[in-house]
Amino acid sequence: MQAVTLQGYDKHKRGCSNMSNKKINPRSASAWKDFLCVLPVLVFLAVFTYYPIVKLLQISFTDWNLLNDTWNYVGFKNWVWLFGGSGTKYLWNSLKVTCLYSAGELFITLVGGMVFALIFNRMTKGFSAMRAIVFMPKYVAMSSAAVVFLWIFNKDNGIFNYLLSLVGLPAVDWLGNRHMALISVLMLTGWRCVGYGMMVYLAAMMGIAQDYYEAASLDGANKVQRFFKITLPMLSPTTLFLFVTTFLSSMKVFQSVDILTQGGPYRSTEVFVYNIYRYAMVDFRMDRASTVAIFFFVLLLIVTIATMKVSGGNVTYDS
Amino acid sequence: MRKKIALVMAAVTAATTLAGCSGGGSTGKAGGQSTTAETSAEAGETTGEVDASKYEVTEPITIKWWHALEDQYSDTVQKVVDDFNNSQDLITVEAEYIGSYSKVNEALVAAHAAGTDLPAITVANTSYIAEYGAGGLTEDLTPYIQASDYDVTDFGDGMIKACQYNDKVVSLPFLISTQIMFYNKDMADEMGITIPEKWSDMDAFLDKATQKNADGSTAVYGTIIPGWDQWYFETFYQNNGVKIINDDQVTTDLADEKAVAVAQKIKDWCDKGYTYWTGTGDDASSNMRQNFIDGKAFSVVHTTSLYNTYVDQCDFEVGMSWLPGGDTKDQEIGGCALLIPAKNDQATKNAAWQFMQYLCSKDVNMTWAEGTGYMPTRKSVLDTDEGKAFLEKKPAFQAILDNLDEINPRIQHKAWGQLATIWKNSMAEVMMEGGDVPSAMEQMADEINDVLGDS
Repeated sequence: MQAVTLQGYDKHKRGCSNMSNKKINPRSASAWKDFLCVLPVLVFLAVFTYYPIVKLLQISFTDWNLLNDTWNYVGFKNWVWLFGGSGTKYLWNSLKVTCLYSAGELFITLVGGMVFALIFNRMTKGFSAMRAIVFMPKYVAMSSAAVVFLWIFNKDNGIFNYLLSLVGLPAVDWLGNRHMALISVLMLTGWRCVGYGMMVYLAAMMGIAQDYYEAASLDGANKVQRFFKITLPMLSPTTLFLFVTTFLSSMKVFQSVDILTQGGPYRSTEVFVYNIYRYAMVDFRMDRASTVAIFFFVLLLIVTIATMKVSGGNVTYDS
Repeated sequence: MRKKIALVMAAVTAATTLAGCSGGGSTGKAGGQSTTAETSAEAGETTGEVDASKYEVTEPITIKWWHALEDQYSDTVQKVVDDFNNSQDLITVEAEYIGSYSKVNEALVAAHAAGTDLPAITVANTSYIAEYGAGGLTEDLTPYIQASDYDVTDFGDGMIKACQYNDKVVSLPFLISTQIMFYNKDMADEMGITIPEKWSDMDAFLDKATQKNADGSTAVYGTIIPGWDQWYFETFYQNNGVKIINDDQVTTDLADEKAVAVAQKIKDWCDKGYTYWTGTGDDASSNMRQNFIDGKAFSVVHTTSLYNTYVDQCDFEVGMSWLPGGDTKDQEIGGCALLIPAKNDQATKNAAWQFMQYLCSKDVNMTWAEGTGYMPTRKSVLDTDEGKAFLEKKPAFQAILDNLDEINPRIQHKAWGQLATIWKNSMAEVMMEGGDVPSAMEQMADEINDVLGDS
């Protein structure tokens, strides 16, 4: 393909040589062509990603309230508020809540997904149906699922408390108790995400050559040894993929929190994005929301780069 | 190459930021369309003589009305809109349910900031009017009122004050309610209990009205206090001499001893099982309502607008009583007003004004008052046969009509929304999770002072 392209380009170059004495470097022309191919994407990113980030940074130095048409530059006032004012308390609170939520979702997706994948890694009709049942919640819209869970978690009329009452246990305030609310949100997340983790792991497991297992069996390795010495290392690229994608999506959780708890009770489920949303859409303080958003962006960037660096040396790509 | 790209990106970022900063201290325009001042200038004068022709509807137009009236009101909404559409040829109104008042608030402010998809007319909870007025979201209705010779003095004084900002009418009272204590009248008659008029008599009342199980748990709560909206407990503080926002407009007295005493008293009731604090969750309101309907609460503090809902769902007689007062027995206006977003074009605003007059008319107001628990807003209607018939049908409303002068506008402050959120969350935390009331109030007041000072 490259030869054809260069051939065509050479013809074009010869044709043009009469008109101009300038010589066009084939590598440079190829680079321009490549650049033109990605230009639409770059324009899209520039308009919808990079420009908003720059704008966000700009707004963080203003006093813009969404209700007002005008704003003033206020220097580092919002940054001082975030790191030395009343915003600090809620910043660390949302950071703590987001980390807890993220750890929970990672645990459910990675460990839960792996466990389910091991259980359902059999190609029979019955297991196919069960896999489908576990995976199906992923396709239920989060908003719909959250509304149903709102009823399931209801303290007085919810099905969970009804089941608890059948075995003589007291009712639990699933969404109104600060110690239970985040767990309740994670229960909804787990219900939706564990099937996804399972499917990704299952697909990866099928890609592991059986030769490894046969050789290990011949050497006397038992099932546990085969899992830890073959399956787990071979799944490390998949684990890294799941870790990074789940981590990033969990850091951006919003919808389930918005519908189930609105960040409460007492901000015990106020994750980062909901914290930003509260400043922007409840208090209408776009200045403060932008400041927190920029901080969040930088934090995510650092954590993602660190994750990639740390995990880079521990992933086995050869299967 | 990478270094070059990084340098270019950095330069662009810095340039954009610096370009923005070059205005240093000057103001910029964040919105898309014309400001209130511009539109008012376009339309004509805001004071003095008004050219009525500028506010007339001359061509057919379709306008949108955003409301927060739930499914149970849909038939009434449709009837009201149909009646208006059939009453004239030029304006077609399309009613659109947006959600709760807070959802309407979010959608409206977002549309205002974007300058697109604004409704011609919308409902707004009375607590938002000041913020909207300060931000220039609402159209100043003064020239419209003058051009139409519209009589705003017929509305209750408190109601029209609640619809003003900086002494300008920026909205009109639509569905107006106030805080009230609903109680189980059958239970009250049986137990010989009357609702106290004074805050200081609440201890004795709750002791008598609360019923306990053998194990000490509460079988019937004396009362339930809503925690999802500070509006419900706000007047407990005000009537006991607490200034929620001081005259300096940048500090609160919510940490002083009077405020702490009120909070401590409610906390004691909660600890004794006399009452429970609902919390701030989405289901808090329905849970509270259900407890009352099921006979698990002697009384609940709620809004008069739900009078019909309670009457329809309870199999006992529902009474209404004015909330116990302290030094004063003031209450506040709740419900919603109607406003016209200022960024609309003049033709849309003119059509919206016509529809607004219709929605606030005596007839439509009485339709709502009879079908719901919202109050009649017109003074003139109370002495008419229609008003008397209303009272005969809903005698419990006598408690409200006897105290009409005690119903005041909401506190108006630009940062009221932020203050309210901090207040209700802090109260919920200390009531439900426990903790030291004075230090919790101190911490809360610091936060509120920060918000007020920065608004």
